[in-house]
Amino acid sequence: MSLVLGQRAIPRDTTLWEWFTDPVTWTGSGGILVSLGDTVALCAAVIVASAILAVPVSAYLAHRRLAQVTSAWLVNIGRALPTFAVAALLVPISLRGGYGFEPWPIFIALTLLTVPPMFLSTYVAVKEVDEAAVNAARAMGFTERAVLLSVELPLASTVIFTGLRVAAVQVVATEPIRAFLGGDGLGRYIRDGIGQNNATLTVGGTFLIAALAGLTGITLTAIERLAKPYGVRRLRADRSSRPGETDEVDVTDVAEPAGSHAAAGRLR
Amino acid sequence: MPSLLAAMLLLAACGNGEDTATGNGDIPDGPTIEIRGQDFSEAITLAEVYAQYLESLGYPVDIQTPAGFRVEAISDLEAGTLNMIVDYIGGSQAQLAPDSEPSSDPDEVMEVIRDAYADIDATVLDYTPAVDGDAFVVRGDLEAETISDVADMGLVLGASAQCFERPQCFIGFTEVYGIEFADTQTIEFGPILGEALAAEEVDAVVWNDTAPQIEEFGFKVLEDDLGIFPAQNIAPILANELIEAYGDDLVDAINELSAMITTDDLLAWNFETDIEFRESDDVAREWLEEQGLL
Repeated sequence: MSLVLGQRAIPRDTTLWEWFTDPVTWTGSGGILVSLGDTVALCAAVIVASAILAVPVSAYLAHRRLAQVTSAWLVNIGRALPTFAVAALLVPISLRGGYGFEPWPIFIALTLLTVPPMFLSTYVAVKEVDEAAVNAARAMGFTERAVLLSVELPLASTVIFTGLRVAAVQVVATEPIRAFLGGDGLGRYIRDGIGQNNATLTVGGTFLIAALAGLTGITLTAIERLAKPYGVRRLRADRSSRPGETDEVDVTDVAEPAGSHAAAGRLR
Repeated sequence: MPSLLAAMLLLAACGNGEDTATGNGDIPDGPTIEIRGQDFSEAITLAEVYAQYLESLGYPVDIQTPAGFRVEAISDLEAGTLNMIVDYIGGSQAQLAPDSEPSSDPDEVMEVIRDAYADIDATVLDYTPAVDGDAFVVRGDLEAETISDVADMGLVLGASAQCFERPQCFIGFTEVYGIEFADTQTIEFGPILGEALAAEEVDAVVWNDTAPQIEEFGFKVLEDDLGIFPAQNIAPILANELIEAYGDDLVDAINELSAMITTDDLLAWNFETDIEFRESDDVAREWLEEQGLL
């Protein structure tokens, strides 16, 4: 009985400490471990899909200086899409098509959420690569393809990865809406807490999601440091001794507040 | 437009009142009946039915714009901004006497809420034969008529988060009925329950009796043979000032109307308002005309 209850409901007088320390909370089909796995798997899939969709196209367009106005316009439209409404509209369509509650509606909605910031950061990163480096490569006989792949993308990689990190944190913080659309994941605790008027579940679930979002940011920052191409790392080290070289920070500043603002609006 | 309609109705009501005054005796002077539907289509139509009926009998009625739910309705009744509300009796019980034992017998529920409403100077009139309670809904082809029948079927249950902590819901299914579900899924209450059932994502959902989609999709409601769902008949509740001013004529008139409202009527109204997207006041007026009350 307590096991069954542990999956979908807990007594209202359970304290946060009791909830977190009860093994039933962590294990079993409705436990935190399974829910965490569900959430991480979906978020990872969304980030990978968004990167595949956004980065190559955006880098190419930026290299050719194509579609600057159109892409800015598309990115802004994309940011204005309310993720929850998109997913909620897709759920009945998915059900009627025999695809079930999950994963397509929430996957598509979250991908639409993350493609715009990734597209934008890639576009700006490639476009802002030092023209001297690009022209030097061309002068040495690099093909356009080689200019993009060997010069622009490595130099832009830091900013591209920053965009990816921002998008990943945003996805982790938004993914819990799936629990309100027939899914589970970590959002289930918030959903059940609200539905059952049980603050322990709501607060506990919020804490778990905030922790995961924070951890995602930290992990990706670490990966970002390690994965930076050797030349770029050396370049940054050289530059850091010279004040005024801040093109990396510029883009982050543009991407981050807009993204977090949009996420806050969406969750509300 | 609604105000124009109200004005027309008022005119019609006045005319009607004059015509029948000789037969029914005059309506004594008294306070305006202030009524307001809770803000979902079934409750709005219900309020319109009672209000238009009373208007046609010559009582002064003010139909306020629908707003809020049970909590607001009861507190406004207590505060005097409303003097007539219409509510589901099991819901009233849960709101006014949360510690009392829920019951599937409407008379037991009435006993509890009569006292509770008396405490705020209001009187519960007779409840309707119409019930809009929780419903255990399955696809039409499932070989079962009662909830007991599905105990060993290993169904997948879809229900709202609330259900899973309630003895009148999931806990009742597992402990009173002894049902072993193969799995459970939390689905927000509303039309999506029907979509999930139709798509065979789940085999059973906990919905409400009068969801028009039940018939649309060819689902069926299983009988609650062990009686765990609370009785959710509908009852009008009047501030005592109205009864003092208008006396038994008013009470009898309202009880007569309540006795005519069936669950099928609720279903038909909800179909009109939720599937056909028609206005509640039109739906209410047509029903009253069909019953020969207008």
